[in-house]
Amino acid sequence: MTAWLRMVVVLLLAMMVGISAGHGWASPADVLRAVAGDPSLGSRLLVEWRIPRVLAAALVGALLGLGGTVFQGVFRNPLAEPYLLGSAGGAALGATVALLVPLAVPQPLLLPVLAFAGAWGATLLVIGISRVSGAVDAAGMLLAGVAVAAILGALRSFLMLALSDETISLQIVLSWVLGGVQTPSWPMLGLLAAITAACVGLTLLIAGRLDILGLGETMATSFGLNVHRFIMVAVLAGSVVVAAAIAFGGLVAFVGLAAPHIARWLVGPLHKPLLPASALVGAIVVTLGDAISRSALPPAEIPLGLVTAVAGGPFFIVLLARRLRK
Amino acid sequence: MRSVVPLLLATALTLAGIAAAAAAPVTVHDALGREVTMPVPPQRIVTIFASNTELAAALGLVDRIVGIEAFTRFPPEVLGKPLVGGRLGFSVDAVVGRRPDLVVVTPARQAAHQLVDPMERLGIPILVLLHRTMPEIFSNIRLLAKACGVVERGEEVVSRLQARLDRVKERVEGRKAPSVIMVTGRLGNGMMLIARPGTYTGDAILRAGGRFALESGMLAQVSPEAILRADPDVLLFAGSERDMNELIARPGWADMRAVRERRSFVVARTEFLIPGPRTLDGIEKLAALLHPAVSQ
Repeated sequence: MTAWLRMVVVLLLAMMVGISAGHGWASPADVLRAVAGDPSLGSRLLVEWRIPRVLAAALVGALLGLGGTVFQGVFRNPLAEPYLLGSAGGAALGATVALLVPLAVPQPLLLPVLAFAGAWGATLLVIGISRVSGAVDAAGMLLAGVAVAAILGALRSFLMLALSDETISLQIVLSWVLGGVQTPSWPMLGLLAAITAACVGLTLLIAGRLDILGLGETMATSFGLNVHRFIMVAVLAGSVVVAAAIAFGGLVAFVGLAAPHIARWLVGPLHKPLLPASALVGAIVVTLGDAISRSALPPAEIPLGLVTAVAGGPFFIVLLARRLRK
Repeated sequence: MRSVVPLLLATALTLAGIAAAAAAPVTVHDALGREVTMPVPPQRIVTIFASNTELAAALGLVDRIVGIEAFTRFPPEVLGKPLVGGRLGFSVDAVVGRRPDLVVVTPARQAAHQLVDPMERLGIPILVLLHRTMPEIFSNIRLLAKACGVVERGEEVVSRLQARLDRVKERVEGRKAPSVIMVTGRLGNGMMLIARPGTYTGDAILRAGGRFALESGMLAQVSPEAILRADPDVLLFAGSERDMNELIARPGWADMRAVRERRSFVVARTEFLIPGPRTLDGIEKLAALLHPAVSQ
């Protein structure tokens, strides 16, 4: 129980740091004044811009933690990460179209929609390919995922080269690909919160079967689990979670891989506690990463994915080393 | 003495009228079709990108500029003003920290993408400008002048620029337009970026009395081979003399007609790759290069 309390407290602290952090640091008094309805520009910036962004960052992190846990559970591989089955490539392609192709739909709407469609579409394609080729198992899906990712990556590169010049910069796509939480409008933030809650529920529904699958395919079959069918269902569920995270936060490296591991050390390997714990850890990591990305190099912002990889990578290695030494 | 009262009253009313007119909110439509309203003439302007800073400077508004981005180098008076962004994007925090009452951006890099939404939410007027042709640059000068309450100055600046443009037109009109390729950048894979139709750089070439030797299609970049095969009358390179020499020292380039006939020239990046009043300097110089006979 203490592990849960600790995680919640750390998350709240991280969010407070996140709200304070930025080009100009806000003191807790500033934040309180802003929340109390102070009309000054600085206060409105905090309420209208920074607080929703911090909340969005936490929710995106939670989704990545959930997605990573599902994928590691399905593939029974600690190196499995949420972008494994083409979702990163598909999302990046969708985002490239949204960012570079002039379409009639306003970009703030188009970007998350196309990123989601790309991410989920790519995973559907991977599942479809492995079904058609009769290889609905982990290995078959992974191979199909590699192929689909390569194709989508090439298409995206071509679009980026074809549609950019001195004024339409590759940076705009590159910065999206490197991840970054955009401040959502309040209704969009509500939607994101609802999606996150639904995703927690959805993944908890398959938690028990993920545990059974963890015993190995033969064992799981003898427990009465239709392994191939379940893998497909679980991958579909996991990829919805990941696609939602991508739609709101771009491609954030490393969190989906690391959060489940950290959570596993805290609450053990059973998926029922592991899934919410991973969500909490993911939320903490992304909230802190977003705070660093906004405040480290003012007035610029470092793409979030770079922060999570550079700051989170060594942290993860240290934890891993300590864990292995025990 | 009694007759003075109505006079005073009339004067007071007139003054009040002038004050009201000066303080009346101004509404303009920007390049995205957005309606942008300035309640009072802006006094603290953040201009994102060299182009927009130069437009404001041309209108004599340097003193009102309170924030620029890291790659703005002109005019010298703006150097040292607080930076609100650079290559890694633009900080909403930094822009708001300048307490601007107007932000001017162009949808390049991530500027419009990162700034329009937050500024709208915070109620800070943000004007999005697109500079695709010379007339569009002129209308942007007028637009910015109107937004900042310096309409007359805007008309002055534009009519001066327009007169210069007309003079160039008279000079090159009716003369045979040489075919031109302007190399504006080189990519790591050996491909070249060239000035294309539909951009202000392309527009500047046409107005200086040139024509495109190569209408690059969908791709912004072309292979060196395509440039060699197009064999333009004039080869322009936006950059330094040294880079140009390095370029034409490559295999095949020396055989190009423009290089053999010594009609390969360096042009200033600041004049052709930053849309603004300085583009006219570029057009005048380029017209002289393309049509040397008429330009003594």
